[in-house]
Order: sequence, then structure tokens, then C-alpha cells
Amino acid sequence: MKSREQEYRELFMAEALEAYDAMSQHMSVLEKRPGDEGALNEVFRLLHNLKANARAMGHDAIGEVAHRMETIFGQIRSKERPFAGSMVPVLFSGIDVLGGMIRAVGANQELTENLPLIENLDRVIEGEEPVLLDDDESGSEEDATRKLELSDLVYIPIKKLDHLLNLVGELIIDRDRVLTLAQEIGDTTLQTVTAHLSRLADDLQYSVMDARLVGVGTLFNKFPRVVRDVATAEQKQVELTISGQDIQIDRNILQIITDSLLHLVRNAIGHGLETPEERVKAGKPEIGQLVLSAQTDRDNVLIRISDDGRGVDVERVRRKAVDRGLLTREAAARLNETEVHNLLFEAGFSTAEQVTEISGRGVGLDVVKLAIDSLGGQLRVDSKLGQGTTFTLVLPTSIAVKGALLFELDGHPYALPLMHTDSVVSLAPEKLHVVGGTLLAKVLTENIPVVRLADLLADNDDALLPANRAALTGAQDIIITNYNGRKLGLIVDRFLRQQDIVIKPVSQPLDMIDLFGGVTLLGSGQVCLVLDVPAITRLFLSRRP
Amino acid sequence: MPDSQAAADKKASKPDVPVQLIVFRLAGEEYGIRIEQVKEVTLTPEIARMPKTPRFVKGIANLRGDIIAIIDLEERFRLRTSSNEPVTGVTYTMALEAKDYTIGIIVREVPQPLSLPAASIEKAPEFIQDLNINDKYIEGIARVENRIIIVLDMLKLLTPEEIMQLKPKATSSAATERR
Repeated sequence: MKSREQEYRELFMAEALEAYDAMSQHMSVLEKRPGDEGALNEVFRLLHNLKANARAMGHDAIGEVAHRMETIFGQIRSKERPFAGSMVPVLFSGIDVLGGMIRAVGANQELTENLPLIENLDRVIEGEEPVLLDDDESGSEEDATRKLELSDLVYIPIKKLDHLLNLVGELIIDRDRVLTLAQEIGDTTLQTVTAHLSRLADDLQYSVMDARLVGVGTLFNKFPRVVRDVATAEQKQVELTISGQDIQIDRNILQIITDSLLHLVRNAIGHGLETPEERVKAGKPEIGQLVLSAQTDRDNVLIRISDDGRGVDVERVRRKAVDRGLLTREAAARLNETEVHNLLFEAGFSTAEQVTEISGRGVGLDVVKLAIDSLGGQLRVDSKLGQGTTFTLVLPTSIAVKGALLFELDGHPYALPLMHTDSVVSLAPEKLHVVGGTLLAKVLTENIPVVRLADLLADNDDALLPANRAALTGAQDIIITNYNGRKLGLIVDRFLRQQDIVIKPVSQPLDMIDLFGGVTLLGSGQVCLVLDVPAITRLFLSRRP
Repeated sequence: MPDSQAAADKKASKPDVPVQLIVFRLAGEEYGIRIEQVKEVTLTPEIARMPKTPRFVKGIANLRGDIIAIIDLEERFRLRTSSNEPVTGVTYTMALEAKDYTIGIIVREVPQPLSLPAASIEKAPEFIQDLNINDKYIEGIARVENRIIIVLDMLKLLTPEEIMQLKPKATSSAATERR
């Protein structure tokens, strides 16, 4: 894996060279039409960005030149003076010098300050006459020896990568079909060719997925500033530690979690961490610690936001849940700590007594939860009162391929993402018990509600009829799903197999039905619906007898 | 195809321009759709029933990599009588371009193209109410020799609200009512 510095340097080089090319072009335009506002604005903007990027990368020599040129173009732009006279050759040589410096960075050479140029630029800024030595000549000499260079990096609009990924998805589906057909036909040559095709398709898929990966750092590195601003507004002292910036993840996934991460960080500072006085009183160091970390875990990426603040007050959450009418007092009292923590993700739940400008924006953790759900990911919270809180986002590395469990219901295949599958069991009806109209299965030490998926998916939305154990015959294939700590057993007709699937969105207008996260095509060409466990769990809760 | 409606109006005003229809049968009657709205006709692919959809939505199917909804207009218009068995055996699917998506209409026989003068399409008369088809979906009635063809306005029939009968709202709202 490339080091971060190298990656940044490549990005800087690509942008800087592009800026240099564009500036040269705009300068030629200005030479012909000195008043061209579009070109003036562009050069000004490019110089400004180049200055900022160069300084951020520690190339101060570039920054110094770009800064002075930006000042001059600022004056021209605001019509304080025209783009004319002796300043023109100075500006041209300025662009050339910048180009030389950028190339020097690319070649790993030391940058040297070009003092005559800087002095000339300063003179122009002050409105004095620049000292034009053999400037014209040296300029033209550089022009003559200049090599034309193309950047080693290309920018690709993410849309094109999305399209590529969709095409690969289709290819994988067809590959599975061809493999199935080749197996059926039984021709060895055909099988060899399809095996090769299959490997190529795999390689292509991984290459496309790889092209979409970006370092988590591209998002994490925006947080020092956010933390500083929020901490100042909340009058807290916060030290932010970031780790795992090199962990790679699909760019669109990172995009989708951006707001969630922002929300969690604001929350951690606003509600999690205490003020310095409170911390001292509690015997903690004045400065609160906030850790933003990423790590890989098998096929997933874990992103954690931890603070060493006051932690979640379980009793207060219980009280709040009762006050908000989410639970009865008795039900709230029965919940264990994890279940209470999961209440935080319920819609309309927020323990913050006062809404602050930073952390209270009318959205709660439920919105974060929904965003993570939409990716097929999970959101967990661990907290110790007085010691701090950790939110963990479990995210897929890539959107395209997901592990899934295939099963059959009413003669049709369905898929359920493994991310939300806890386990599968086969139980005789005697092992199930009816409690309050709901079937319960004892799996290991837990009692888990179980429902016939066929009943749950039946067309009406009325409450389910009380479960009747006598209606079940033979061993029942049950998939235990897990969503937000809530386990639910789904009785299906038959388990089929485990398989990596490419999920396609359900087309309009059927996408109004939220029970399905999408569809996939099986090797047999059959269309297979992919169940959305969060929506199934909600449906069960709203329809249970 | 937002401008096909406008195009249709324009054509109607010029009686000498012929109108191209795709004609198909539902419960013995002939229906027509403007050819611009028909993307293709194929043998009906395998359909997966989608729970929580209206009965006339037969399910979803894979049409050249696109997953599209397939609907049965006989059931939609409640044209099926006891002598009309549910659609079985070999059927065909017309892929139609609705506003933002493609949708499949299942038919028993291969639909046929028909060219006729725009003037032969009359505005739908009152008696249409008897056909169980809301007259807002009907563009007009075409009389050709001794045939009567009901010309449907597919764009109105295929809006998401029409297809879903706004039924899933109940399912989604259940999510907010938990407990």
C-alpha cells in the first residue's frame, strides 16, 4: 500500500501541474485580451489554490511566489490597475518559475527561492517599476527547453466509476449463469473457457472495486478543524487522536457516512465530554480525549468514535424512553444495558435536555442509524457511566458484493444479507413455545421471537394472528436475524445456500416497498428478492399479536 | 417520454398523419397503445411475485438485465370473468416506457402493429364507465372497418400512484408507529 505522504504528493503534483497548464493558457488569453474577466478570475483562483496546497505540503517557495502573484492579480481583478506594461513579462516569468518549481517537486529536488523574481513581484505590488534584467531572454530560453508533460493521474467523475461498477455487476451475474449452463451441458472445453472467463470477471470486479477505494483519511483529515470549532463553541477542551487513515473504503460509502460521522463527533463533544471544571471535579484530566479510528475486520471496515466523557446514563435513558412514550415503565425496567443503549437509536429519542446550536440540529442518532442501515452496515454503542462512550460503525468495504444467505419461500428464492444474519437453526415444533401469541425459540441461552416469514409478508397489514404451534409440521428452518440488538427468527420453507450476491436496486415504482433492499439475479437467471432486515424487524414489531 | 403527450396532441390535430398503434387483446376486446410508448415485445420471462404489492402486479422480472415490474391489465381493469382463466401457458410481455421507468404488461397473444388515420380515433364517449376502466386512462376509441379499438393513455395508467394504489404507504407508516 502506498504511504499517505506519497499519495498526497501525487495528488498535489497532479493538481499543481493542471493548474500550471491552465494558468499558462489563461495568460496567453490575457496577452491578447487584457480585460478578459473570466481568465483573470481563473488565474486568481488557481494561484490561490496553488498557494494553499503548496503551503500545506510544505513547499513554501511555491507559496511565496504564488502569494505575490495572487496579490497582483487581485489588484488587476479589482480594476486598480490594468494587465499591461512591464508587469506582464514579470507575471509570465512568475508562471514559468512556478512551473519549474512544481516539476522540481515532482523530481524530488530541493526548491530554491528565486529572489530576483520575488523582488520584482514585490516592486509590482508596490506599483514600482520592476527591474527587467535579461528576463525576457531567460524566459524564452526556458520556453524552448520546456518539456510537455502529462500527469500520471487522471481524474474520473465518480459517476463513470458507478457506471463501471454496475456493468461489472451485470457481468458477474451473467458469469454465474454461464457457469451454471456450462455445468449442465457438461462440455469440458466449454467448462475450461468459462472457468477462465470467471477468473477474468473476478479480476475485473476487484480492479473496479479497488479503483473506487479511497483512504478513510480523506474524510478523517477534515475533523481536526471541525473538532476545534465545535470545542470552542461548546467551551470544552478536546484533544483529537486520529488513526487508521490508510484504511481503504469505497468512496460512496465514505460519502454516505460523512454526515453521520459529523453528527457523532459533534455529539461526543456536545454531550459526551464534560466541561473542564466538571472533568476536574470528577478527577479526570482537564482535556477530554476524542479518538477517531478505522480498522479492517475481515471484509468490513470498523470506524470508531470514542470519548472519555460522562458516558450514557442508563437510568436516565430508561426514564426518558418512558417519558417519550416509547416504552412502559415495566418494559423499560426489564431491558438490559445493551438494550437500553439501543434505545438511543429509536426515532424521536434524544437525551440532551437542552438543544445546543452545534449538536442539536433536530436530527438524532436515529438518522445516523438509518444512514448506516442503508449501506447494510451496523451501528453499535458501548458506554460506561463516567468513563466514556464508543460508537462503532461496521461498514462494508464495497457496495457491490455482499455475502448473503439464500432460502426458498413459496417456491421463490430470497436472499438475506449475512451482515444481519446471526445464525440458522432447524427446530422441531416441540422446541418452540407460544408466549403471548408469539412463538419463542430458545437458541443457546436466549429466547428469540420467531415468526413465519410467509405470514409476515402476507398482503394485509393487520396484526398477526396469534401463533398456532399445531400448524407447524416437521423441522422448521429458522434464520435468526439481528438488527440493532433485536433478534428475530424467520421461519422459511428451505435453506438453499450461502453466496456472494450483487444487489441491484428495485426499479421504480416498486421501490416504494421498503421491505426489500434490492434484487439479485441468480446463476439460473431467476430473480431473487433481497430482504431488508431493518424493515422486516419494524414490520414484525408493528404487526405482532 | 414527457413530450410524447404533446406529440400525441399535435398528431391528433393533423388528421392526415397516420397514427401507429400496437394492438393487443384483453378479455376478448382490442386495446391499442401508441407505438412510441412500446419499447419491445418478448416472451414473458420468469416472474418473481413481490409481496405487499397489489394483486395485479404480477411481480418483477429480468428483462435484459433490467429488473422491471410486470402488471396484468385484465386484473387491473377487473376484466376477468369465470370463463376467463388466469393467464397461463405461453404469454408475451410488452415493455412500455413510463415516465421514469420501464414496465411490463402481460398479454396472451402477440400484439400487432396497426396504422390508422388520426381522425379515426374519437374521444371516448360516456358509456366507457361500463367497462370498469376509469375513463381518464382512455385516450379515445378507434373504429377501423368493423373493429373497435380502445386506445389507452399509458402514461396516465403507469404513474407510481396508479400502480401501487398507494397501498405501501400503510406499510411504511407502520415503521413510525412502532410500539
